[in-house]
Amino acid sequence: MPGLKIQKQPVELRPDLTMWKIDGPLDPESIGYIHREFDSVLETKQNFLIAEMSGVTHVSSAAIGQLMGCRQLLVERGGDLVITGVSLDIKSKLSAMGATKIFKFYNEMRTAINAYHWEVERKSEKVWLSFPPQLQFVPPVRQMVSRIARQKGYTQRDSFRIETIVDEVCNNAVEHGSEKVLKNIELNINIDREKIELEVINASDPDKIENLKALSTAMPKAPDAKMGQKRGRGLALIKMLSNSLDINFSGEGTSVHVTKLREE
Amino acid sequence: MESQIELEYDDVKGHSNTKMVRFVGDLDATNVETVLEKICNLFDDGFINIVADFKKLRYVNSTGLGILLHFSKSAREKSGSFKIANVNENVYEIIEIIGATTLLEIYDDIDEAVAALK
Repeated sequence: MPGLKIQKQPVELRPDLTMWKIDGPLDPESIGYIHREFDSVLETKQNFLIAEMSGVTHVSSAAIGQLMGCRQLLVERGGDLVITGVSLDIKSKLSAMGATKIFKFYNEMRTAINAYHWEVERKSEKVWLSFPPQLQFVPPVRQMVSRIARQKGYTQRDSFRIETIVDEVCNNAVEHGSEKVLKNIELNINIDREKIELEVINASDPDKIENLKALSTAMPKAPDAKMGQKRGRGLALIKMLSNSLDINFSGEGTSVHVTKLREE
Repeated sequence: MESQIELEYDDVKGHSNTKMVRFVGDLDATNVETVLEKICNLFDDGFINIVADFKKLRYVNSTGLGILLHFSKSAREKSGSFKIANVNENVYEIIEIIGATTLLEIYDDIDEAVAALK
C-alpha cells in the first residue's frame, strides 16, 4: 500500500501562503515525514498552511496529533493550519478524535484563503448598497446587513443590534431625506473582526438642513419613553446601541457614520 | 412591500372585554400604521384589555415601540390595560433601552398576564 505523500504547492497569487496536497494514509508511520515537511515550512517563515486532504484515505490519532502540534507552532507565530477538502467519512473520524474542535475546516481553497484575509491579515470587507428612499426597501437591507454580521462571527445579540442600527439610520434617511431630489440612499458597510462601520448618505433639502442640525444637536443621550409622540426615539436608540455616531450635513446631503464594536 | 407581521386573535376565557393578540413577525416603520389600525379597532369594539403575545415577534424598532406605548396609554384612558407576554431577549433589550420597561406591563407568559387582569 503506498504511503503518505505531501506535495507542497504554490497558492495562486498568494506567495505568502503554503498549501499541502496530502494523499494517502495519515498513519503513525507518517509522523516523521510530516515533521520533516513541516520543518521546511517553518524555514520559509510562512505561517499559514492550508492542508488539502481530499486524497487522505485513513487517519490515525497519532498523525493527527502531529498535525495539531504543527498547528500550535503556527498559531504561536500568528498563523494557522487549516484543512480543506476532507471527505465526510474522514471528517467523522476526525470529529471522533476531537480534531474538529482544534482545526478549522473549509470546503474549498477559496474559502480557506478568504478566512486567511479575515482571521490572519485581519482585513476588512466592504459592501456598498444603494436603494430608493422608500421605507419598503429598509427591512431587506437591515436583514441583509444583520446576516453579514452573523456570518462574520458576530453574536446573535450583536447582529440584532446591528439590524436595529441599520433600520433606524435608514428610516431616518427616508423620513428626513429630500422630497425634491429622489436620489438613492447609499449605505457603505465596512466590517472586520473588531467592528462594523456604517455610513448612510442621503439627499437633503437645503431648507431642511437647519432643522436637522437642530434635531441632531438636541439629541438626548438616552431615548425618552415618556414622550407622547409615537416617533422620535431613533437617533437616541442608535446612540445607545453603537459606540460612535457622527452626523454631517454638507451641501445637499446628510451623512451618518456609525461604529459598532464587536462584542465577544 | 411592508415587513411581514400578522396579528392572530383569541378570546380570553372569563374576560369578555379582553382580546389576546399574537404578534407574528417584525414590527417596524413599514407596518406600524396597519397594526395601529387593527388594535384601535379592537378598542373601538369595546375590548379595553389587550394581552399581546410576543412569542413570535422577532423584531421591533423605535417606531414599533412608539405604538406599543400608545396602546398602553390608550388602554389606560379606557380604564383597561395593554399587557405584553413572552418577550424575546432582543426585543426586551430594545424596550429596556428606550426606558419603557416600567411603562409597559410585561409578563413572563400569557397565564401570568391573564391572571393580572382586573
